[in-house]
Amino acid sequence: MTDVLEVFWAFARAGLLGFGGGPAMIPLIQVEVVDLRAWLSHAEFLDAFAFGNALPGPIATKMAGYVGFQVAGWAGAAAGLAGIAAPTIVAIVALASVYRRYRDRDVVQRFLAGVRPVVLALLALVAWDFWPAAMQVEGLRWGVAPLWAILVAALVGSWRTDVHPAVWIVLGGVVGWLL
Amino acid sequence: MSSAPTPTPRRPFAERARSRRLLDLGVAFGKVGLFGFGGGPSFIPLIEREVASHGWLDRRDFLDAFAFGNALPGPIATKLAGFVGHRVAGWPGAVVALLALTAPTIGAMIALAALYVQYRDTTVVSGFLTGLRPVVIALLVLTVTGFAPSALGAPRAWRANVFRWLVFAAAFVAAVALDLHPGLLIVAGGFAGLLWGKAR
Repeated sequence: MTDVLEVFWAFARAGLLGFGGGPAMIPLIQVEVVDLRAWLSHAEFLDAFAFGNALPGPIATKMAGYVGFQVAGWAGAAAGLAGIAAPTIVAIVALASVYRRYRDRDVVQRFLAGVRPVVLALLALVAWDFWPAAMQVEGLRWGVAPLWAILVAALVGSWRTDVHPAVWIVLGGVVGWLL
Repeated sequence: MSSAPTPTPRRPFAERARSRRLLDLGVAFGKVGLFGFGGGPSFIPLIEREVASHGWLDRRDFLDAFAFGNALPGPIATKLAGFVGHRVAGWPGAVVALLALTAPTIGAMIALAALYVQYRDTTVVSGFLTGLRPVVIALLVLTVTGFAPSALGAPRAWRANVFRWLVFAAAFVAAVALDLHPGLLIVAGGFAGLLWGKAR
């Protein structure tokens, strides 16, 4: 039982200290799991991370569930998931309920009118940061031709039709596998 | 399967039975979890699609939720899942959305880890991931352009919204060149809005 609680606490710490989304939290998870508690060796952690990246789904919660399972079985997996996700979900629901109460006030509307362009910039930033990994280039340069073909095909297809994005994702994966 | 932008009533999902809403959440976030390859970036277009097709949030609410999500610590996808789930069906909804998003692939990771160590050098997985990443870029670009009117106003009315375009450009440059914290940028944008902006 103490193991289960320790798993919860380790991932709650990583979750509450890590800003910028799941991938940005991997180094924090590594500190908790490898450096502080030696639940996995450094090599085991890197293997788990590489494997986790090959599977779909959020990476931080996959690591939490996997490491939790290694430490304390299924209860540990549940504790890892709860630790990394629950505190921040409670926080966003609390913040949203405050927002819903005051959203119609003029001062809040003006604040949000300034926030929304920033959020759009942060969305664009996600694409910008992902660009080198996706197009296999350093910085914003022309990448590999087949990857450009996939990009343009997905862009036009997704823009002109109403096909579910998952279909384009799987199609892109299959094309990449065939190439 | 056409989900053309039909004018939906304000919150049609609220009229569904809670068990039905929980089922909808489970299926929707299960899909996001199964097709969201390549880490955080791929989830945003998938979540946006589910949220829009069910009418759970309008685009402005989704942007605001994304702002809260970036200002708070923790993984973004799970925060958005919990937030949307809570809004649709209370705390049970948050739990269902979180589990649907994460549990299947956590189970897969635990079950398949031994196999992976054996077949780690296979090129199938890396080829698959290489091919789908440009798709994620395309989906993200469309997500950004889709949200642009909610954040910046109609493109043709850009003169009336120069302030918002400036905030957008300044935030992007600050994030790329100065690596400033997203929470800081969000708060700075909000204060810029208080000083110079117009509501709505």
